[in-house]
Formats: sequence, structure tokens, C-alpha cells
Amino acid sequence: MKRRRPIGAEWRAGLLWTAATLVIVFLLAPIVVILIVSFNDTTLFSFPPSSWSLRWYYALWNSRSWREAALLSLWIALAVTFASLLVGVPAAYALARSTSRSKRFVEFFLVSPMVVPVVVLAIGLYVLFAPFRLVGTPVAIFLGHMLLALPVVLVIAGAAVRKVHPSVELAARSCGASFLGAFWHVVLPAIRPAILSSGAFAFLTSFDEVVLVLFLGGPRTNTLPKRIWEAVRFELDPSLTAVSTLLCVLTLLALAVAELSRRASRTQARPELTQ
Amino acid sequence: MLGVWAFRDRAGSFTLAHLFRLAGDEAYHHSFFITFRTATVTTLVCVLLGYPLAYLMATAGPRARALLFTAVMIPFWTSVLARSLAWVILLGRRGVVNEWLVATGLVHQPLPLLFNSFGVQIGMVHVLLPFMILPIWAVLARLDPALPLAARSLGASPGRAFLYVVLPQSLPGLAAGMTLVFMLAVGFYITPALLGGPNDLTIVSLIEMVVRDLLDWSFGAVLSLTLLAFVGLIFAIGATVAGTERLTGAEART
Repeated sequence: MKRRRPIGAEWRAGLLWTAATLVIVFLLAPIVVILIVSFNDTTLFSFPPSSWSLRWYYALWNSRSWREAALLSLWIALAVTFASLLVGVPAAYALARSTSRSKRFVEFFLVSPMVVPVVVLAIGLYVLFAPFRLVGTPVAIFLGHMLLALPVVLVIAGAAVRKVHPSVELAARSCGASFLGAFWHVVLPAIRPAILSSGAFAFLTSFDEVVLVLFLGGPRTNTLPKRIWEAVRFELDPSLTAVSTLLCVLTLLALAVAELSRRASRTQARPELTQ
Repeated sequence: MLGVWAFRDRAGSFTLAHLFRLAGDEAYHHSFFITFRTATVTTLVCVLLGYPLAYLMATAGPRARALLFTAVMIPFWTSVLARSLAWVILLGRRGVVNEWLVATGLVHQPLPLLFNSFGVQIGMVHVLLPFMILPIWAVLARLDPALPLAARSLGASPGRAFLYVVLPQSLPGLAAGMTLVFMLAVGFYITPALLGGPNDLTIVSLIEMVVRDLLDWSFGAVLSLTLLAFVGLIFAIGATVAGTERLTGAEART
């Protein structure tokens, strides 16, 4: 049977797709341009490059300050990832299962760093950290990043916990599992994809954060974003394009981890276990 | 968050003089005006660009949806610094856009696209657009596709079916997106600092200047709390209209 299409449906769909394509070009163009410019051979940011080379990647690799900055960022981001998962996953579980009336209040407080302007957060933390002589130390950056990464974990893991039906846990308990046993063997495996993706996003949140570092940092906290910030503002060093490209690749990796873990869980998902 | 509270006591126990200083000075009014103008324009542009894309994401087939979704998520999680640098390269006096415009003869002089409010606007929309698209998409994806079809079968034109059936149902998502974008735009620091010029001092840049250069912590505190109060107000309005869940993105991100 021939599907009847109303007159005008085609051009309307065409118009919608054209608009969407333009928006996507706008969204992706800067990333593509920086990717291409990073293989430039000249010190000008010419596009398209007149000659190609890996010159800026070598420059990056040979620069001690860039290497040290990257390493420091990596350590802080890894610490933030583990700590925020360690605190965030149980907290998300508790909040999802809690029926207490103060729950909404606690939830709001935990997620609030997401909406408070980071500069305001930074000034508050500065005043808080100053008496403990924490300002300028990597510990201050770590604690500040925890504030930003925790809501990410809470939101993603919390949504996953809510999808695990409480009766599954009750079944495990009635079969003799302890509370912790049920959490470890039933809840955690069910939300594993969410844990992986929230970990990846917590890592990115810390690895890319610059405002807290600018305010709370000192000479001992030259993280990668701070180095980039200074380079964009003051020198426009062409190595920047290479760093940015590497950051984009890192983002793609994190997104791939999140997507793959979701897919893996979908193929082995037992529908009776999820709501 | 604790820090902000600790700090509120400190600021409050001082004096009200700083508050009067804020209320009395033209320069600070201008800063607030610039900030809210930028946030408003950003929000409106994001609605115009974001809604069609979100609509398409919700109605397209699985393959096209995955493609569109990836195209939105990649910039969403890509370093804001990297993207700001990209705009510096694209919009500069001898940047890609200007070179192209001059080469094609559309303009004779390179246009001033960077280090002014235009550059900030472009950068802000680019950073905040996904925050508009995701909540709208989350609502539209749950809409029963039979509803607009029912409207059509009862004789409504496609335009009317959209206007009276789809659009009203998507309003919570739209409200959530607008609240998020406006709230984040008001408090945004990186993009205005890197792409803006000396004439576009936003509240946040003002706070930074007061605290870092003038070392006037108590005035910085008053400015921060004023900003926080505005953001809280916007959040409260958004949460009433759209619901807190939508604002934190619980449904869109998983």
C-alpha cells in the first residue's frame, strides 16, 4: 500500500534537517578546525594549513612545563574520580532509597555546586581554606574539584539506582544475603555502566576545570587547564592547538567508555531485574 | 557549598556599606546590565537553534538519533578552553572567518568579531546550547507520537498540530533548558574572559577584578552574594515551572 504523504511534508522535513545540519556544523566546526590547525607547520594559525607536520606535538612532548602540568592534572583528576565514586555511589544509593523527608533538602545541597557560579564557589572556598593554609596546594584543588564532580556522580548513579527495583534487593536479602552483600552482589553489578560513565565524566570535570585552579591555586598547582588558560590569554602558543586536540581525543575516549559500558549492559541486561 | 555559607556570615558581620556602594555606582549597574543582556540573548538564541534539533532528535529514526546525539554530546563534554581557543582562531582579525569573508569579497575590511560582545555571544551559545537541547529532547522523546497524528487526523494542519499539541507538552523541557542556560550564562567566567573585550565586564569578571587586583574581599563577597541571590531566584523560578529533576538533568544524561 502506498503511504500517502501530505503535500508539503517533504520540504518541511527538509527545512528541519537543513536547520539541524547548520546547528551541528556550528557545534562541531570549532573542534574540527582546531584538529586540523594542530597539524600546521607554521607559527600562524592558518587554515587550511599550507604544509603539514607534527611539529607542535613534538614541541609539546619536549616541553617540561606542559608535561608536568599534564601529569599534575592527571593525578588530581584520578584522585577526584576515585574519591567521588567512593563517596558518591553509596550516597546516590542512600538518597534513591531514602524515604526521609529531609531527602529533598540533602539532595538539593549536594547538587547545588552544579548551579552556583564557579567563581562564587571559588571565593567561598578561598575564605574557607585560608585558615587551614590549604590555598595554593593541590589538596585545595582536589577538594574543590570534589565539589564539582560529586553532583555528576550523584545524578548519573542516582538515576541508575532508581531503575533497580527494590524487590530485587529484598529477594537477595530473603535468600540470606546481608545488606552489604545485597548491595555488592546485586545493586552494584546492575548499576555498573552508570558507575563507569559517571567516573569518566567525573574525571573530565576535574581534568578540564580552570576557574577553581585560578582562584585557589598557586605556583605549586600549575595544572594543564591553567597552563592553557595562560597561553590563550598571553602568548597564543601554537602548541595550544595540539593540547586542545589531545583534550578532544580524551573527551571522545570518555564518551566511548560511557557508551560502550551502556551497550555492554544492554546486551546482557535481564529485563526482570530492571523496572 | 559549606564554603559559601561560612563566607556569608563573614560578609554579613561586616557592614552594609558595601551594599550601598553596589547600589550607588553606575559602573556596577552597567556590569549587571551587560551580564543580563548577554544571558538573555544567549538564552533566546539557544531556544531558536536548540528546539529544532531537539525536535528532530526526538522524532528521527534510531540511527539518525544516535548520530545527532553524538554530535551534541561531543561538544558538551569537550574542554571549554579548547573550544574558546578554537573561536579565537576562527574569529580573529586574521582568523578563518574573516579571511574567508574578505577572500569572497563579501566585506573589504576584516570584521571585528572577537574581543567584543559578538565574540562572547558566539562562544556562550556554543558552550550552553547542549544544556538547552538535552532537556527539550528528554521531554519530546517521551511524547506519545500518536498525539500529533491524532490531531492531524482530526483535521489540524501540521503547523497547528505542532502549535497546539506538541509545543505545549514540551514546555516543561523548554522551561528547564531556558532556566539552565540563563543561570549558567549569568555565572559564566571562561568565555567572557577569553573572548570578551574591555567593554564587556560581566559581574563575574568584576568579582574577579575586585578580589584579585583590588584585594577587596568584602566587596567581592557582597558582589558574589548578589550574584548568588539572582541565580537562586532564577533556579527557584525554573524549579517551580519545570521541576528540580529536569534542572539537574537526571533524565537527560543517562
